[in-house]
Amino acid sequence: MAELKPKTFLAGARLVWRQQRALWLIYAANLVLASVATRDPLARTAAILNHSLAGWRLVHGFDLGAYVELQLHPSMPFNGGRPVMVYSAMLFAIFLLFVTGGLLTAYYQDRRLSPGPFFAACGEYFWRLLRLMIYFTVALVPIGILAAVAGALFKKIDRESISPFPSWYFLALAAAIIAALLLSARLWFDLAELLAVADGEDSMRRTLGRAAKLLRGNFLALFWLYLRISLIGWIGFWLGLYVWMEHLRPEATTQAVLMSQALIVFWLATRLWQRASGALWLRQFEPQLNSQAPGVPAQPPAPPSTSLEPAPN
Amino acid sequence: MGKFRFTALLVLAWLAIGQPARALPANQDKSGALTKQQSLSTRVVAYKLEAKLDVAKKTITASEILTYHNLTGQPQQTFPFHLYLNAFQPHSTFAEEAEREDSSFEWTPEKHGSITVERIVVAGMGDLTGRMQFVQPDDDNAADHTVMQVTLPEPVPPGADVQFTVTFVDKLPQVVARTGYLRDFFMVGQWFPKVGVWWKGAWNCHQFHFNTEFFADFGTFDAKLTVPKNEIVGAVGDVVSTVGNTDGTKTVEFRAEDVHDFAWTASPSFQVVEDSWTGGAGPVKIRMLISPGSVSSSARYLTALKGSLRHFDAWIGPYPYNQITLVDPPHGGLMAGGMEYPTLFTADTFWYMPKGVLLPEIVVAHEFGHEYFYGMVATNEFEEAWLDEGITSYMEAKVMDALYGKEQSILNFRFATLGELEDHRVGLLSSGYLHSTDTDPLSRPGWRFFDDTAYGSVNYGKPVLMLATLEKIIGEETMRRALHTYFLRYRFTHPTREDFLKTVEEVSGHDLRWYFSQAVYGTNILDYRILDARSDPLSSSDGGKKDSTGGRQLFRTFVAVQRKGDFVFPVDLKVTFSDGSIAMEHWDGQDRWIRYQYDRPAELVSAEIDPEHKVLLDVNLYNNSYMVPEDRQAIQKISNIWTFVTEWLGQLLAWLT
Repeated sequence: MAELKPKTFLAGARLVWRQQRALWLIYAANLVLASVATRDPLARTAAILNHSLAGWRLVHGFDLGAYVELQLHPSMPFNGGRPVMVYSAMLFAIFLLFVTGGLLTAYYQDRRLSPGPFFAACGEYFWRLLRLMIYFTVALVPIGILAAVAGALFKKIDRESISPFPSWYFLALAAAIIAALLLSARLWFDLAELLAVADGEDSMRRTLGRAAKLLRGNFLALFWLYLRISLIGWIGFWLGLYVWMEHLRPEATTQAVLMSQALIVFWLATRLWQRASGALWLRQFEPQLNSQAPGVPAQPPAPPSTSLEPAPN
Repeated sequence: MGKFRFTALLVLAWLAIGQPARALPANQDKSGALTKQQSLSTRVVAYKLEAKLDVAKKTITASEILTYHNLTGQPQQTFPFHLYLNAFQPHSTFAEEAEREDSSFEWTPEKHGSITVERIVVAGMGDLTGRMQFVQPDDDNAADHTVMQVTLPEPVPPGADVQFTVTFVDKLPQVVARTGYLRDFFMVGQWFPKVGVWWKGAWNCHQFHFNTEFFADFGTFDAKLTVPKNEIVGAVGDVVSTVGNTDGTKTVEFRAEDVHDFAWTASPSFQVVEDSWTGGAGPVKIRMLISPGSVSSSARYLTALKGSLRHFDAWIGPYPYNQITLVDPPHGGLMAGGMEYPTLFTADTFWYMPKGVLLPEIVVAHEFGHEYFYGMVATNEFEEAWLDEGITSYMEAKVMDALYGKEQSILNFRFATLGELEDHRVGLLSSGYLHSTDTDPLSRPGWRFFDDTAYGSVNYGKPVLMLATLEKIIGEETMRRALHTYFLRYRFTHPTREDFLKTVEEVSGHDLRWYFSQAVYGTNILDYRILDARSDPLSSSDGGKKDSTGGRQLFRTFVAVQRKGDFVFPVDLKVTFSDGSIAMEHWDGQDRWIRYQYDRPAELVSAEIDPEHKVLLDVNLYNNSYMVPEDRQAIQKISNIWTFVTEWLGQLLAWLT
């Protein structure tokens, strides 16, 4: 079992910082796609709001009734705009899938890639990662079934219990188990994606098998690594939301924009932190990986860096 | 002189004794409070009920002795009875209407309920069980058995009594439409054969529809309820006695006077919270039956209830009964919540109810309000649902605004608020006016509305806004006096909508037919908008019009207001100029549009219809104003939220990759 070096957790964060161009590229895509998706509904909403004194009910405080009334307005396109926002979210997911190849290459090699090699790596690994994504959705099916069973059990307990609490205790426990399973599945496939990039292996099923073997031997350490980062992500995000909702003045639009975008960057950064930590951890296995993967020339690993400065190319 | 002295002595004697007080009605004191020396109502009915609950089988074996006083002024030979529980059968009118609203609705066996009349005997006339027949006065659905009538061999003369002895068995459904069981909880409403009302010269006894409630005569109820010993029982009226039986049960006896319904509840899991309050008519015992998990809401319930008692007592009239019972249904029992019976109502909450969501308080304020408008002013809920639901909802809004603040009486978070009036417009937690503005008038009978949404919108949301707008027309104090007068005049009777509308006109001193004909009897849409608002600089080619005081640029400002809807309502217009000056206009709204023109050395800043926000029935408040320099703060705020949500959604989906 590979030792999870104590500083992998922090080293991963530093790696994200060193390779922050990738973070900003992905964030920019997220922001642009969201802005494009909301542009048309916002334009039509602006036609209602910009010249109306009734808009003050949304500015000074937030009168939820005024907002719902806006949604019910006959010329309000929000119901029609909703699918566009979903399409935009899907496009972003595809974009992220595309850049993951370049991202993981940069993390694994811990070197800054210029745009050419970066996007070359993106293209080289895209189909492999796509296949892995399809396998991932299949892997989620048993977890989905388990969630449905848990839901049915929750309803049964709720129906039969005099007190309302037992069903909710059960739900909390079931949610924790399902969250752990989802995290484990994600961890497995993240490892597989890293192996695909590190090995140059073409068979994703083989890659999945090797990732499973790696994970099995090091499950607790890796799970704890991912869990910590996820918890930081969730807690930080909800704390930030709390500050936004409860402590910013309702009229402070600029501060709200900064806070909301900071939350998006933070959320994204924690996800990249997981990827970076995984990459650092995997590099410990490079000799074994290279000996197992046929026809792949060994890449000398870059020395692990504890500084914020990028490793030399 | 002697004669004068004698007269003076008489006068002095008269003054010494004191003048007799002006006589008050026998059951009323100076404040309008009712005394208990005589009955409060004309007691048409006297029910003696005996019921035994079988907890395992979910059945009630019962008998009823109904003494009906024939005060109709005519001989009566045929008597209709409501058998409401038969609505919970697969092909009843209620069931068919429920399926029309939601085709996925399934009448699973546990939702079946019924009332089976085994025998009906009329004193002096014998067993008339064979003379019972089911009738369908509202539709031709022969499978609907919610109205039964029995024809006597001879008529009951006017002024005479007739006594019915009925034995029947109830099969309770799993809680559906206010009645039934859930685990160890029983809410028993509309459970006994209830005689119809002789109203406007005919029997009024409608079938039970998906969208209708109830209508019955005032009287007395004596009920003996036999339940397992561990059950905690709550009911309409006062507890008279509790007697233990040898078979592990107990019999709890209740008596209620001057009410028109009797409902009860039982559960061994209730926690009882008792308190009291004193109002204009004396002390009121408060009894709350709280289900497991809801104890944290008890204090909220109590605060809302006492606040409601206080405000109704002050604004509408004294609460004349000496007790009020609040029943908190268990989790999953939402269908039993939010319902009213005389001196008892059911509330609603969740164990995780945040403080900023005032749902428990809203339900209490609303259901308590029904003690006045339904319980005492007993309008026909089948035919004129808005008279109790709408007026109660309006009073709910007044009470909630007074207790919790106008802008946050529904939701009170720093990041978002919602007030009662606004919620009755948009229907986030209630039935909103804007969901169905023109399908049905208020005056339509309940079962004839287009659908459930229209019923809710027109009977709850619209009357609130209609009355709130009316309040702005006649003044808040006048509105309060009108409701107070209506209550005092019609309590313990069955008034109609015209009784209410005429009372408002009488108290306000205004002819309000122009308003009622559109708001109550019509489906007119009220929508005014700014059609045009601009300022054009006046140049020398316009006749050289420049301000004579220093040559300031003159502007010709046009403001046009359009009546988009077909509801004619006079509106105010406020036009604000860049030099701070304001022009106020008043338009009668009769024509389709009107244009105002101003020549001033200042440009238009804003034009606003109804600047004091009186016309709450207006379906679109966003087109009521126009600002010339645009203000992008609102759109920027919304843009931020939508962009954020879309970005986060993208990242969630991207987790799959």
